[in-house]
Amino acid sequence: MLKDIYAWLKTIWKKPDKYAELKQFDVLSELSSFELYLLDNFLHKRRFQAGELLYDKDHPLEVIYFILSGEVEVMGPTHPQGHNIVNKLQVLGLIDMFTEDTRSSSAKAKKEVTAYAISRYDLMDLAKQNRQLGLKLLVAFCKTLSNYILNISATGSTAEQ
Amino acid sequence: MNWTKRIFYFLLLALIVLGLFFYHSIISYLIYALVFSYLLDPFVGWLERKKVPRWLAVLTIYFVIAGIIAWFSSRLVPALIQQGNNLITILSSGERLTGQYIITLPFIRRIYEFLLELDTKIPGLGTAAKLVDILDQTNVFLAKLPKLLIDNYQKIFSTISIIATVPLISFFLLKDKYKLRKGIIGMFNNRYFELIIIMLRKIDSTVGNFLRAILFEIIAIGILASTALTIVGVPYSILIGATAGVANIIPYFGPFLGGALAVVTVLLNGGTIISAIYVILAMYIVQLIDNNIVYPVVVGGTINMHPLLVLLTLIAGGWYGGILWMLISVPLVYITYSLVKVLYSNLKEFKII
Repeated sequence: MLKDIYAWLKTIWKKPDKYAELKQFDVLSELSSFELYLLDNFLHKRRFQAGELLYDKDHPLEVIYFILSGEVEVMGPTHPQGHNIVNKLQVLGLIDMFTEDTRSSSAKAKKEVTAYAISRYDLMDLAKQNRQLGLKLLVAFCKTLSNYILNISATGSTAEQ
Repeated sequence: MNWTKRIFYFLLLALIVLGLFFYHSIISYLIYALVFSYLLDPFVGWLERKKVPRWLAVLTIYFVIAGIIAWFSSRLVPALIQQGNNLITILSSGERLTGQYIITLPFIRRIYEFLLELDTKIPGLGTAAKLVDILDQTNVFLAKLPKLLIDNYQKIFSTISIIATVPLISFFLLKDKYKLRKGIIGMFNNRYFELIIIMLRKIDSTVGNFLRAILFEIIAIGILASTALTIVGVPYSILIGATAGVANIIPYFGPFLGGALAVVTVLLNGGTIISAIYVILAMYIVQLIDNNIVYPVVVGGTINMHPLLVLLTLIAGGWYGGILWMLISVPLVYITYSLVKVLYSNLKEFKII
């Protein structure tokens, strides 16, 4: 009985996790609540209608997107078939982030998209100023990019950007 | 664009104009608060990374600044006021600045004797008398100078008292920095989203770094000049050093102001031409250190403005708002110019224009 009351009280007192949405992303899953708070300061939640451009080819590369819901079609030379679909909980702009100053591809919402956007410079500054956070993020990015390469070499299709 | 949208945008514009009209008297407060926030932001960020909540970080920094100001006031301000009063007394003292007095100063004395000799060789030339006359006229101008300075200092102090609210505004700007930024970015639609992120980031880095660098440079040059002038035995060295530090904000002309003030002070106090040369050398060394070490390290590059533009900006700043505006006009124009340049290049890159 007491155990039940305690469990019930716990559910009342327990604050909802402010960063539950962010923790769903593989690349952010290792971050602590404080690190997510620091990251969240720079994140912008955006909504895109179906058919709306997230970004266009040859535009300056500033933002990377964490897709929370919806589907994005990416068209450009970095994809073996010339285009690729990026789904929920995948990251958009990760490949170009480390190499390019302009977009090598275009991205258009196929279905209504909700995404968290962050400036790549803010992200890198955050990583530089918070070494532990930076290390966790860069390891996560490396894992994601390794999986992407392995996927391409194994099946010829792309899974994540 | 349909009529509903046009009416909406018209009403929005009218609202903005009304808002600007209503709040125009506090826009300057907001600008000062923004400058103050930019200067403090790195320290707040540093404390925040140490898991100190932002509001507490801002308060902690305010307490530290209050402590520094209290220490500075108790140690240096009395000396500065004393030196300032002495300098103003000398400048406003008609007796010490008459032509007859000035020609007794060692350096001027030699010139006067040379002219007297010339007058005896060429009768009717009267150059020595003309020199005394010119010095008398200079005296009339210099006698007005302290009043001019005092008038402007009154303005400065009244401005300081008016902007007593600036720390309060800064507190909220610093505490809610990210919320405000998200709010601004949230107002723009997806087409301009990345552009506005780039703009805000560049404003942050350009304005923030520039202001912090300028503050650091003022302090560094103030300390260096005060030390150098003390070493060569210039009276009122702290005051002149501090003035040189502030004047250094003005590119090309600023460094001369500090140097000229120091040389004039030495000569008015009966210094020889050699001591004036020492002062020039000391200020030159300070400028060498500034140009080769301080400025490249803290600012990273020079203010790339044509000297003529700097001069015109200074004159316009002086006409608009006196000494204070003369000091801030060049950085202000430079920052505005940099931001317009960034905006133009990004609008082109995003193919908006």
